[in-house]
Amino acid sequence: MAKILDPKESRVGEEFESPEVKADRTRIGESEEEELRLARPSLKDWLDLRIGWWGFVRKNLDEPMPPGVGWWQTLGNLLLTLLMFQFLTGFALAMFYTPSPDHAHESVKHITYTVPLGSFVRGLHVWGSTIIVIAVVLHTLRVFFWGSYKKPRELTWLVGVFIFQIILGFSFTGYLLPWDQKAYWATVVGTRIAATIPFVGNDLLVLIRGGEEVGALTLTRFYAIHVMLLPALLMGLMGLHLYLVRRHHIAGPVIPQKGAPVPFYPVQLFKDAVVLLVGVGLVVYLALAFPPALEAIADPTGTDFAPRPEWYFLGLYELLKIMPAGYEVLATMVIPGAVSIGMILLPWLDRSPSRHPARRQWIIVTGVLVILMIGLMTLKGIIETPVHPPAAVTSEATTLDH
Amino acid sequence: MENPHETCHCCQSQAENPRRRKLLGWAVGVINVVLLGSFLGPVVGFVGSPLGRRAKGRWVPLLNEAELPVGSTREASFVMSVQDGYMKADRKYTVFVRRTETGLVCFDPACTHLGCRIELQAAKGRFLCPCHGGVFDADGKVVSGPPPKPLDQHPVKLEAGKVWIYKEV
Repeated sequence: MAKILDPKESRVGEEFESPEVKADRTRIGESEEEELRLARPSLKDWLDLRIGWWGFVRKNLDEPMPPGVGWWQTLGNLLLTLLMFQFLTGFALAMFYTPSPDHAHESVKHITYTVPLGSFVRGLHVWGSTIIVIAVVLHTLRVFFWGSYKKPRELTWLVGVFIFQIILGFSFTGYLLPWDQKAYWATVVGTRIAATIPFVGNDLLVLIRGGEEVGALTLTRFYAIHVMLLPALLMGLMGLHLYLVRRHHIAGPVIPQKGAPVPFYPVQLFKDAVVLLVGVGLVVYLALAFPPALEAIADPTGTDFAPRPEWYFLGLYELLKIMPAGYEVLATMVIPGAVSIGMILLPWLDRSPSRHPARRQWIIVTGVLVILMIGLMTLKGIIETPVHPPAAVTSEATTLDH
Repeated sequence: MENPHETCHCCQSQAENPRRRKLLGWAVGVINVVLLGSFLGPVVGFVGSPLGRRAKGRWVPLLNEAELPVGSTREASFVMSVQDGYMKADRKYTVFVRRTETGLVCFDPACTHLGCRIELQAAKGRFLCPCHGGVFDADGKVVSGPPPKPLDQHPVKLEAGKVWIYKEV
């Protein structure tokens, strides 16, 4: 028998009821108090009232999609999924990995060649990172050409640019972890880029490396950044990005199409699922068909190795090659910095009120030139094999007579 | 049901007193800054501690004098016990030593562009960086490519029939 309450006394749970909970209570019918008091609420309703989950899901499934939205708008979902899978495979790899110069290579070797499914899980992580870079580039290009970064979506774009940079940060820090020749030398060169900054460059280099040379503290630093700092930043920024996407809804095509908006579910969600199937399927295929390699253990004195970065940093690598002596800071800082700042400021640089590419010509022309430059430099880097020395000249006994 | 604090005169008067509100707001801000600082300060100092470490150097025997005739340049490696962060490591280093009529020169093998390992091209009498194509002559001066300055040198001497170099780690 329910205790009869004093009319002035508040009922348990109702003292500070938020409008959201009130709305959920109305939606699931708990406003018919007597009925629910007699028949106990189902677990679903009970949970719903406390979490509001179904209301949240419903709201997202009913998200209005402007007509003309389609396959190009699936890339964000693909990125979100692939990043979550990276977290999963990374978590699994971390259970077998040791971030120490005397064990890192051995532990990755163990993962790759001994642990059941180790090569596959590492392959998923390695190939996942490559497909993520491709997806984030395509996603960014879509937003750029559609002009979707314009008012009121400036901050959605800005947060997206930071996510892009964090993804590149993941690639750079993750590259060192196997502690093989490729990893070591790419990091020697990559970190040295910081030293080209005038005045503070050398201190910055020591701070990044944890010392003058790439060593034990570089590895622990990169590991800590890769598995703690960057995931935390990424999660926060992805949450903010999704919140902003939902707050301002998806920008429709450049030229609005006729018709009423359709809910996200089921048509757009189905397209998302198809792209996920293809994208994730590709990662699985690549991991199986091209298992990840592991080169010889890092050797600071080795001369039989020509350092090369991951393919998506090859554009920068080529830029460094062609820059004349004394101007390397242009290639290491000024040009990449200008591209980054240009991306950050894009919504404010592009003052045209129109989203149509023909009505914002200078920004489109500049963008296309930058994309072409990066594309061509990357292609050049992929095609060209770096100068590789014949073994004879590198032996210890080589002498140079005059 | 109404929020009881909305009707409580005590809460109302306190919450609506603008001076009190402002003061408490400031106090919360100050507390937050103190809290953040008390953690962030030590963490930044801890993470930045490698900046305060000063390199230590010592003379290391590299070769017997006979192994480096006058007029020759060669690659030579040596092993040094170094403190690498939390671990002691026997690290192998390589340098290029050149002996001329006037004396000895020892080049660091790191390209002055971005630190790749240079190679000695004996036939052409030069050093080449395989990364970005930097070329140095036998004196370590830049011939072509992006390196901004000549090869770094280590102090080197002949003593007791051996070639010694001074290496900082």
